[in-house]
Amino acid sequence: MTAEQVVFVLAAVVTLGSALGMVTTRSVFVGALWMIAVFGGVAALFILLGAGFLGIVQILVYIGAIAVLILFAIMLTPRVMGDPNAPRYNRQWPLVAVMASALASLLVALVLRTDWPLAQEGAPTITGFAVELGKGFMTTYILPFEVASVLLLVALIGAIVIAREE
Amino acid sequence: MAQINWAETIWLLGPEVILTVGALVVLVVDFVRDDDRGPLLPGLTLITLGGAFLLSFTYLGLDRTALFMFEVDNLTSFFRILATGTSVLILLVSVDYVRSRSRHAGEFYSLLLWVTLAVILVAASSDLILLYLSFELLSITSYILVGWLRDEARSNEAAIKYLLYGAISSAVMLYGMSLLYGAAGSTRLEDIARTFSDPAVRVGTLDELVLPAVVLMLAGFGFKTSLVPFHQWAPDAYEGAPTPVTAFLSVGSKAAGFAVLIRVFLTALPMFQVDWAAVLVAFSILTMTLGNLVALVQTNMKRLLAYSSVAQAGYILMGLAAYVATDTSTLNGIAGVLLYLVAYLFTNLGAFIAVIAYEQATGSVSIADYAGMVRRAPWLAGALVVFFLSLAGIPPTAGFVGKLAVFGAAINAQLYYLAVIGVVNSVISVYYYFNVVRQMFFMPPPAEGEEPVRYPQAMGLALTVSLVGTLLIGIYPQPFLDLANVGRQFLAMLPFA
Amino acid sequence: MGTADFVEIVVKSLVIIWALLTGFAYMTWFERRVIARLQSRVGPNRVGPSGLLQPLADGVKLMFKEDIVPAEADRALYLLAPLVAVVPAIMAFAIVPVGPSVTLFGRTIPLHLADMNIALLYFLGLGSLGVYGVVLAGWASNNKYALLGGLRASAQMISYELAMGLAVLSVVMLAGSLSLVDIVNAQAGGRWFILLQPVAFLIFLVTMIAETKRAPFDLPEAEQELVAGFHTEYSGMKFALFFMGEYIAMIAISGVAVSLFLGGWRGPFAEQVPILGVLYFFVKLVAFLFFFVWLRATLPRLRYDRLMHLGWKVLLPLSLANVVVTALAVVARDTGFFGLW
Repeated sequence: MTAEQVVFVLAAVVTLGSALGMVTTRSVFVGALWMIAVFGGVAALFILLGAGFLGIVQILVYIGAIAVLILFAIMLTPRVMGDPNAPRYNRQWPLVAVMASALASLLVALVLRTDWPLAQEGAPTITGFAVELGKGFMTTYILPFEVASVLLLVALIGAIVIAREE
Repeated sequence: MAQINWAETIWLLGPEVILTVGALVVLVVDFVRDDDRGPLLPGLTLITLGGAFLLSFTYLGLDRTALFMFEVDNLTSFFRILATGTSVLILLVSVDYVRSRSRHAGEFYSLLLWVTLAVILVAASSDLILLYLSFELLSITSYILVGWLRDEARSNEAAIKYLLYGAISSAVMLYGMSLLYGAAGSTRLEDIARTFSDPAVRVGTLDELVLPAVVLMLAGFGFKTSLVPFHQWAPDAYEGAPTPVTAFLSVGSKAAGFAVLIRVFLTALPMFQVDWAAVLVAFSILTMTLGNLVALVQTNMKRLLAYSSVAQAGYILMGLAAYVATDTSTLNGIAGVLLYLVAYLFTNLGAFIAVIAYEQATGSVSIADYAGMVRRAPWLAGALVVFFLSLAGIPPTAGFVGKLAVFGAAINAQLYYLAVIGVVNSVISVYYYFNVVRQMFFMPPPAEGEEPVRYPQAMGLALTVSLVGTLLIGIYPQPFLDLANVGRQFLAMLPFA
Repeated sequence: MGTADFVEIVVKSLVIIWALLTGFAYMTWFERRVIARLQSRVGPNRVGPSGLLQPLADGVKLMFKEDIVPAEADRALYLLAPLVAVVPAIMAFAIVPVGPSVTLFGRTIPLHLADMNIALLYFLGLGSLGVYGVVLAGWASNNKYALLGGLRASAQMISYELAMGLAVLSVVMLAGSLSLVDIVNAQAGGRWFILLQPVAFLIFLVTMIAETKRAPFDLPEAEQELVAGFHTEYSGMKFALFFMGEYIAMIAISGVAVSLFLGGWRGPFAEQVPILGVLYFFVKLVAFLFFFVWLRATLPRLRYDRLMHLGWKVLLPLSLANVVVTALAVVARDTGFFGLW
């Protein structure tokens, strides 16, 4: 295995293992911590794919801001914190397990069977990734960029209307 | 680096610019004036929606692309008209409702404008990235609107259920989209079509992922259109949401789902029609049958209309499943879908308006409380009968014309069994619609509450418009047929259709 | 990457870690002495000349303290928390250039560990990781004071991180790069960014204190209300690690501030005599550290609602406005708008 592959396997194991830890833990707080590990693994995958900028932004935004807020919310919610004896799974877990494994095997089979078109030699390089990203947001992808900002504004208004103390 | 002609872009995106600016103005005015009860905010919203509605007609016949991924074609124009028209009617009925139940009128109106914008964006996107973001904009705005009555447990429950279902289904939809992206190396629908139609590119087993991708994406699209089995959120969300929002979900958000179905399947995957049409036929049969059967046992008016609208989605889907590319007659399935959507807009909105008016007066949405309605509100009861006739598909109403179009398309495509199942389902639906009619006309009213039901003028106007629309399409469908056919014409301009 | 490069990186890393640890030790001495002077006291002066061996004595003492883990604590997280507090702080210093390139043994060696094109994002990312030490400690201790400390820390970090990022962004826009090396080079000839970006400098100054949880922003460990906040239950070396994390974070963030606004190692003749550059950097760094201590001795702690108010309603709008003005100025500069006058 090349060094790259070793790093990939490590990042993948961290991501998947943490995801498993997240859904099987009893404590919401610990679940949130596992989720942070998932974010870290994904950031590593981004960096491995040459998108270092995205990787760092993933850490900055997801681990540094979103996850902190999630932990903040959990720590502020006594009923979530206070029930260590809550059942780990509900009655429907076998059904869910079947569905999830069916979806997983479908996707895995697809990934393995399909003759994916691979990037040609001379495909866009990753140097100046951040610059290209910024230019893309202001030209080709300006509409999604603007829609995203409307979406965030709407979410902000909704959060205030629904959650604010009267 | 691509250059953008800004003057032209702003013109092409006219209705969207109006909606966005209008929503911001409403927010700022609400902030400055702090007048939640006056006519100013609804007035501004009405002007915005009306302006966008009228402007939308000027783009008919164009085939342009704005900002690389917003198609300004006839399909978009059709959905622009449909979305803004729907929201005008919703606005008329929500003024009184919001005034009496919420302290956040300004935010409600601005969200109504944004949700309208989202429907248009969803219908116009020719790029999976924009499509997904618009889809999320529509979803998130809807979640917020469903949970608007924050002090009512039912509204909260509806919002959280809708949110959970929505999050899962959009995640599954993303899997499907990522498969197409992986195959084509591009998120543009056109590029995806090119990849699969070019024999040089279309190598090996690449084809095999199309069907899974279609099914996975249908989880997201079917969530919006409430197709069985992705419909489970609908009864709870419809029941708990503020009723004007329920009306919007059943019409606007459903229309957006069908717009996406048409746009994505016909633009990106026309060469796989054999595959996706078969899937759609199955979904169509499941949806209308289950929707109608479960509707039979409902005791709550909003839940009844929820299952009824699930069943209606099944009928509409029939048109897309029966679409035949070579058929240019008016019974072409896409024209059927569009015509049905217009008919359904007037009919279903009308039914909801009547329900809202009655709910505002009596505070109840239980079918039992509709007993003796004809004595308290003869006009309302009469109008409701017309809407139920239309929903059941009985002439001379819009619903009949719509059903004629989609059933006809099914027969044209030689899907006779599909048409037969549709007819049988229509017959079943008559039972539960007329159960309500029986309550209204033939059951004695409860002892108290004999006083006549009053409703504000705006609601009366909206009711009249819906009633006129429903009957007009039933009696003289030609202009609406023309509109649907214009909407369909985007097909002729597709490069790979 | 040749062996020589590898050796160079290892040596530089070791030097940085050694310098930071020493810096930490003497920072505690420095702080106690300065505060004592500001409060008309004497401060530690018995261990060694002027008390210079005091940090060593403290270290030895902490080493032999009993190490207690509360019975009800979440053991794994309780042990993890101090490490999470220290490691990001040490890593952050890697991007700070402490001087110009020097030539040693025939190699040209730049005096920084890593020149990344996303250096400042890396710095902000590590800063946001640092808060996890506090949050984990607060939660794992299973102690209400600790939990409140953790809560306060997470809210405070989020509130001030945005303004800090935007202040940094103003400088990045002027320099056109996220690399600290490029930013220091853009300040050649005395064009320090403190002159061009006074508002950003003030915002950064306030937020860097909040991000390091120092007085008057030390609410997470406010001793009057919360005993010792998030590290109430910690003792011995684990307690020392929290201390270390806080002080190293101060040093690292000061290093970044020097590079962003005060021209980094630049100064008269620094390019010709590299050792002068290192000296300039050190002097500027100490000035910032003195400022930290000075504030602690001078200002009372903020009330919690004032803290939130300052972060969201003053600093954030101000930094946003500053970014907009800077953007306009940069566009005007690049399009030659000023030349028309």
